[in-house]
Amino acid sequence: MLIDKYSNSVYNLAYNFCGNKDDASDITQDIFIKIYNNIDKFNENYNLSSWIMRLSKNHCIDHWRKNKKNALRIDFEENLAVEDESPEEELIKSREIEDLRETLLKLKPEYRALIIFRDINNNSYQEISELLDIPLGTVKSRINRARIQLAGLYKNE
Amino acid sequence: MNNKNLDCKKIEELLSGFIENDLSPDERRNVEQHLASCSKCSEKEENILHLRSVLPELTTDIPFFMKNRLYYIAEAEEHEPDKQWPYIKWVAAAIGTIILFLNLFYFTNIFPAANKTLHTAVAGIEKFVVETEAFFERIKESNNNLRINKNESISKNDEEETEKETTKMTKKGVIYG
Repeated sequence: MLIDKYSNSVYNLAYNFCGNKDDASDITQDIFIKIYNNIDKFNENYNLSSWIMRLSKNHCIDHWRKNKKNALRIDFEENLAVEDESPEEELIKSREIEDLRETLLKLKPEYRALIIFRDINNNSYQEISELLDIPLGTVKSRINRARIQLAGLYKNE
Repeated sequence: MNNKNLDCKKIEELLSGFIENDLSPDERRNVEQHLASCSKCSEKEENILHLRSVLPELTTDIPFFMKNRLYYIAEAEEHEPDKQWPYIKWVAAAIGTIILFLNLFYFTNIFPAANKTLHTAVAGIEKFVVETEAFFERIKESNNNLRINKNESISKNDEEETEKETTKMTKKGVIYG
């Protein structure tokens, strides 16, 4: 079923795109409603996964543009406890994750989507090229630029 | 200095490929040599490496309640009337619009020709309704007449039958002994 297969990827994209869980839940719900409403228009010659992720990315970008002003509300990550880490280490790790999530929101939406697909959702370059419908070489160079920009911003945090 | 900057720019473009082992042997050698001598680019490479090690930590599973909500939505979507009659909204909207315009043309004189046509059509419909009503009234009346005639003929037959029976009995001397 669609939900079992794609809900995690869509939610991850939404969460890392907007930075907080409430918005991520709303966005995920809207995306799945959109998927159900448009599934008749899906051309079976194309890849379903690419279609879903492209639709999700476009929805996230639209949502971001509409809600830019109140978009910088970040959730503090609570679920990262690892058994062999001390509370201090856990706190440092949580802080680092929080900073990274915040920095990610400073990237322009197109770069942010690329980082999420490649470095968080672990999609291959080929998959990203298909789902964004842009040439493989362009995907690679854009991801490289996005990483350099993100690394620069993160370092300055 | 300019040459070095140019090199740095070129190397920067190859950093992700270098980190992900996606370069030709020649390109790889060039990057390695450059990184060994350029602290700025080497720092960039380290920053990207660190970033790549931390970014996967941002992965989160969808909350259980949210997944349940999605199942509920899927169920509701399947039973939505729109799915069973996909064009019902458009048909309803079209009918509504037509009625609106008909009213506008009928009650105002914006388009005299349309107004006249509509009044003629409504008069025709009224005439048709009246005639149809009269037709059904006539059928009803004729049915009633038939029923009355039938009843009358039944009672007449009954009387004749009784009379015949009486005559028969009289002849046999049953009644008068």
